[in-house]
Amino acid sequence: MTPPPTTVDLFARSTLHDIGDIARAIGLRRLSTQIEEAPGPHGGTTHRAAAIAVIRNPWTGTGTDHDLAPEGERIAPVLAKLLTDRLLDALGGAEAVAAFGKAALVGTHGELEHAAALIHTPYFGNLVREALEGTSILCFADGRAEPGELLRVPLWHKTAAATRDYYQTLDVALPDAPHADEIVVVAAASTGPRPHARIGDRATDRPITSEILKEITL
Amino acid sequence: MSTERTTELAPRKIFTIVEETLLEGGRPVDPVARVAIVGAVFPNPWAGQGFVEDLLPGINAVASDLGALLAPRVMAALDAPLEAYGKAAIIGLNGEVEHGSGIIHNLRFGDHFRNAANATTLLPAVEKRGPAGISFDIPLKHFTDMKIRSHHQTVEVRVADAPHADEILIALAGANRGRPQQRLAELGQD
Repeated sequence: MTPPPTTVDLFARSTLHDIGDIARAIGLRRLSTQIEEAPGPHGGTTHRAAAIAVIRNPWTGTGTDHDLAPEGERIAPVLAKLLTDRLLDALGGAEAVAAFGKAALVGTHGELEHAAALIHTPYFGNLVREALEGTSILCFADGRAEPGELLRVPLWHKTAAATRDYYQTLDVALPDAPHADEIVVVAAASTGPRPHARIGDRATDRPITSEILKEITL
Repeated sequence: MSTERTTELAPRKIFTIVEETLLEGGRPVDPVARVAIVGAVFPNPWAGQGFVEDLLPGINAVASDLGALLAPRVMAALDAPLEAYGKAAIIGLNGEVEHGSGIIHNLRFGDHFRNAANATTLLPAVEKRGPAGISFDIPLKHFTDMKIRSHHQTVEVRVADAPHADEILIALAGANRGRPQQRLAELGQD
């Protein structure tokens, strides 16, 4: 029997609770939210968070000529909503978010292109950028792996990607995921720069080329 | 929260993990199984002191403050009535397992969680020494009756860059229900 279609109001509905209908519709096995608090600039605290979804690979068993767009357009916006709702809840809203990034890991029965289809289209990226109130392109990591991987998710500034202080990476442990027929999708964000960032910036760098440097005395 | 306590404890990092399991065995999990873990990474109070015979002063310096720090956070992160719980002590490579055990096997630590959760049983625990990033499994049992088999469960945790050799990682874990799709006979009903 085909279950009735599920409609998700991406604009108004909170997905923090009561998401059994969504889970069944997209094969969402698990959500995980990881937050770390560590000392930040000026005696403050920097919060870094990753929200992780583990879903059934909708393309398991299909060939490399299979059109990924229909399922990608159906599932990716829902993942963007599920993950950014958790990031915003963990970090205290979009205003608190300074840097962001994303990642996807496909299980061993899937293609790398399946991971790409869920995070490298506007159906995911545009909605994450909108929810976190950014303008930068989202930096990313993707790959294919067995469960138990430690994923390093890159982040950079959400409106000024070249701001060096915000180049940072969040370590995300993935116990028991992705299974061979699953995909893990991650959205990550930070409220601040690297700890003790002090390597200058493009604005402060002097021009450097091998012609200018000529030689290095060690 | 008193600032004096935070200064004494001085965690390098506090982490929170919330897991929501929605499908297991291909079937919906209802209610959604939530597990929350909150931990702190802080300097080992006995670092650099060689073998310390009497651990009590060091335990007293941190145990109650740790319980007071972590218990309300894990209840808030769980965001649902707690039914099962557990704890963890992961000791950096320069320390003794006894250092972590001393801090967590101690009413001054555990009562904060028991009181916050209206719980009555002892907290099951993992105690382990290892390098930063080590994977550890926190056992959880029912919060008022450790014999309730449906609530025996384990959550796997791995914290990046912790604990360093002279640090200790202490964590609390809480769950809103027993295992997803639990369907074993109750103890005594086999």
